[in-house]
Amino acid sequence: MSTTTNGRSYKAQKVIDRMGQKLTRQMVGSLAACVHCGQCTDSCHYVLSNPGDPTFAPAYKADRIRKLFKKHYDWTGKVFPKWVKAGTVQTDEDLEELKDIVFGKCTNCRRCTINCPMGVDLATFNRMARGLLCHVGIMPEGVEYVAKEQWEIGNQMGVLKEDYIETIEWQEEELQDEMEDPNARIPVDKVNSEIVYVINPREIKHDPRSVLDAAKIFYMAGADYTMPSEGWDMTNFGLFNGDDELGGAVAGRVYDKVEELNGKKLVISECGHGYRSTRCEGPNWAKKDIAFDSESSVITMLKYIKEGKIKVDKTKNPGSYTFHDSCNNARSCGLTEEPRELLSLVVDDFREMYPNRAENYCCTGGGGAMSMAEYRPSRLKSAKVKADQLSATGTKTVVTSCHNCVDGLTDLIGHYKLGMDVTQLVNLVANALVVDEKIEENRKIHSAETSATAAQ
Amino acid sequence: MSNLLHFSSHTLQEIALVFMATVYFMRVRWFLKWPLAKERQPATGMGDTNPKKGARYSVGKIAMPWAMESSRNKPLMYAQFVIFHLGVVAAIGLSFIIPYGPGLLKSAGLVSLIQLLTGAACIIGVFRIIRRITNPYMRAISSPDDHFSLVLLTGWFAFAFMAAPNNISSGEGVMLAYFMLTAFFLVYVPFSKISHYLYYPFTRTYLGRHFGRRGVYPLKRTPA
Repeated sequence: MSTTTNGRSYKAQKVIDRMGQKLTRQMVGSLAACVHCGQCTDSCHYVLSNPGDPTFAPAYKADRIRKLFKKHYDWTGKVFPKWVKAGTVQTDEDLEELKDIVFGKCTNCRRCTINCPMGVDLATFNRMARGLLCHVGIMPEGVEYVAKEQWEIGNQMGVLKEDYIETIEWQEEELQDEMEDPNARIPVDKVNSEIVYVINPREIKHDPRSVLDAAKIFYMAGADYTMPSEGWDMTNFGLFNGDDELGGAVAGRVYDKVEELNGKKLVISECGHGYRSTRCEGPNWAKKDIAFDSESSVITMLKYIKEGKIKVDKTKNPGSYTFHDSCNNARSCGLTEEPRELLSLVVDDFREMYPNRAENYCCTGGGGAMSMAEYRPSRLKSAKVKADQLSATGTKTVVTSCHNCVDGLTDLIGHYKLGMDVTQLVNLVANALVVDEKIEENRKIHSAETSATAAQ
Repeated sequence: MSNLLHFSSHTLQEIALVFMATVYFMRVRWFLKWPLAKERQPATGMGDTNPKKGARYSVGKIAMPWAMESSRNKPLMYAQFVIFHLGVVAAIGLSFIIPYGPGLLKSAGLVSLIQLLTGAACIIGVFRIIRRITNPYMRAISSPDDHFSLVLLTGWFAFAFMAAPNNISSGEGVMLAYFMLTAFFLVYVPFSKISHYLYYPFTRTYLGRHFGRRGVYPLKRTPA
């Protein structure tokens, strides 16, 4: 390990120096204002699932970052370091310890944030700390790998353009078969469309059914839409690894493509962190004001039903359902009511989970945790509270609007042997679709138009 | 009244107050020098809220125990919080009433109210000291400043309780201790976590604006 003249490792010195560049007033307020009242303790799923271990307490975790701030940027810590528990990092091992806290003991779910009487936003400065570590190459291997894929290939699962196009063509054929319409299309790079639809690479790699289901809904609604051939990944590992540059670049690719295609509206498929990154944080990271509208596909689907563009029959989705709010959707984007309204339209037996909406517990796979294999045992142990919450609903299926939550919930359901299925709203809406004469007429007209446009 | 007590209750307090105000001024100036992160995102949520509404809700949340799970599920902790802070208000008020408006203390009702609040706050302070030492979670997150600030406040409540009748017929010891402690308190506070109230309007406003823009504040929920 090489060191600076003050005996500190170069990486540790870089982390300290860079912290000063990344701090905002909001973060400084959060770092300075904690009174260690302990009110946040019981809000954290890690604490609730690991009773007796105070190292999981949000305030304890926050203090591992706060001590650096106090020592190097707050004069109370400079003058009386021990008195206010200020401290520093000297070695790369210190940074590794910090890594295990900011990546391995927190999913940045923000549940402690909404339960802090002082308004301390731990998740925001925890993300900053992740970014500081990533900047010097200290991060879980999975995070490094995924971030690299997103930088180099343009999507977080390393899906090549040919594979992406091939999968869409495959789903287009499926659409034609199911709709019994050889003119049915999934348009790619169609300019001047009303909607540019972007997705999670997981849909291409592991769940192409979601692409097909969305295509069926767009087809039935007679939507004027397109999928882009580039900039189609609305997920963003910049949210997880704290790298604003990556966040800005990934979101920027999506925005640039929408502008290039002259799309009127960006519709983001069901993904909590993708929605938050593309809809909310992306403009901040990319330092770009967005000129076009954007919305979650949940809102788009709900509008189609309300406007009579599609019809659904809830008896097509028998069984009992509960809804899991993605942290990013609910606690960071206020997307809580529309999914419930939509779900109530497509299933008969919807049972609320408690607590819910912005107070819901994390799926425990958030914050990029699903890509951090080294923390899996701890993650699953910490999922106990979520497992209990799911079990208490007495339902057979949990619905969520987030691909990451689908994976997180599936993993914990298997681990705790809950025997539940996980699905998304797009699947339920597509399954509930019914065709009446008016809709049939609309879709045929639109299908012929789309086909003609494609032929040109 | 002795010269020492007069000095302690007047000049010493004024010096301490000026010192505290100066440090606070520097502290706020330091804080405001940090760049404010800009929100460029288009508004999200149901359209029934906005940054201003979110900020109002966020700042007012302290008086809405039902709005936060951490206080909703622990009503006794919330009651303690309220009484403790009312005790602070009473003890601070007393430090102004005795030197500048002693006539007010002729009212037995006011004296009783001050004693009720400071006495209850003192008992809660003792409870909080015990909790901070015995609860493993609290112990793990506590700094020497946390412990000292709590002990200091608890002791100060006790002296405020005794000083409230403003009676020096049986000696000036209690009054001297109260004012000396108040002066020390004023000098120490800006360097300690007790100064959290300085940040409160900022942190809660920023968070409220952020969550208001995103349609999160005011929180929606379906109770069990």
